[in-house]
Amino acid sequence: MSFVRAESRMKQGLFTFMLACMAAFPVAVAVAAADLPPLTQGLTQIAEPKPAPALRLVDLDGREHDLADLKGKLVVVNFWATWCPPCRREMPSLESLRTRLDKHGLVVLAVDVGEDADTVFSFSGQLEPAPNFPLLLDQDSKAMQRWKVKGLPTTFVIDPQGRVIYRAVGGREFDSPAMIEALLALTPNH
Amino acid sequence: MKFRPFVLLTMALASLSGFPVNAAQTQSHDPETGTTTWQTRVHGVTLLLTQIPPDPARAFYFNRGFPLQAVERYATACVFMTVLRNDAAPGELSFRLDDWRVQSEGRTQPPTSVEAWMEQWQALGLTEAAQIAFRWAQFPPEQEYAVGEWNQGMLTTGLPPGSRFDLIARWTVAGKTFEGTLENVVCAR
Repeated sequence: MSFVRAESRMKQGLFTFMLACMAAFPVAVAVAAADLPPLTQGLTQIAEPKPAPALRLVDLDGREHDLADLKGKLVVVNFWATWCPPCRREMPSLESLRTRLDKHGLVVLAVDVGEDADTVFSFSGQLEPAPNFPLLLDQDSKAMQRWKVKGLPTTFVIDPQGRVIYRAVGGREFDSPAMIEALLALTPNH
Repeated sequence: MKFRPFVLLTMALASLSGFPVNAAQTQSHDPETGTTTWQTRVHGVTLLLTQIPPDPARAFYFNRGFPLQAVERYATACVFMTVLRNDAAPGELSFRLDDWRVQSEGRTQPPTSVEAWMEQWQALGLTEAAQIAFRWAQFPPEQEYAVGEWNQGMLTTGLPPGSRFDLIARWTVAGKTFEGTLENVVCAR
């Protein structure tokens, strides 16, 4: 091996190592201090509610969850990814919402797009409060496409009859008093 | 409370559709990350660009299985974290990135499309997981926002690092087209 080639390989190896080290912090860090928009406290009402698309996915433990089995509940379906900054910001508020309204018949399903169980599990351990709702895996993004999601995060509210009645494009503060009050009024056991 | 006539005239003009209400552009620098953010609010819509320097962009995509060749190509394409938010537009807005324009040194072009990047990644044989991560990390190619709705994603201009440009964002509300411009934006080095 020539010295030039050896040096080139060493440089490439060093570059790869540096990238691997940098990969430990996400790009979100680079923009963390930017003046980001506040999380919204409202939902967008769907003018003509239609039946929700199918949603049958496995969670981090490989257990299958089917939206069709949740008829009679108020279901919040949240599409997200660990690298999505507003998704990360809103995730604790989803758990807070679930804590307050689960006894009233509200269920949260969070659908991670394109990542594996290890990645999602590792991220969820960093959250405070940690999510106690199912983290479903949409690794091929087919569910996301079926739900016509165009950007992350996007959240839908499914009424007890299985119809999509509200949507939220972009990050939300799900545990704001206004959101809690609005969603409580839609729960089957309020 | 009494208003002078010219104040009333100004307020009346400001209420007319198409008048650039609160269109002042702001710029802020984050010493911690070394990045600059440009922001404007016009017609009830917030438009924000924050530099993503090449190194964090490299890290993000390398961590998602991109080969070095692809990482380098994207990271040096003048990447911005982009936010468009409907704060108080007179209705649901819709936009297509193809209608936006990047003006630099006398040339005008749309931002690099997500489709153009995806074609490159497919040609390079990137894994499905890497392509999915890329697709959904980008600012949406088209979208609709009711009041309160917004997205945040990556956008590339395709300009060399250090380039200066103006970004003209366009959207429609009830069939009427609106514009928001960020001037003298600089690509990170």
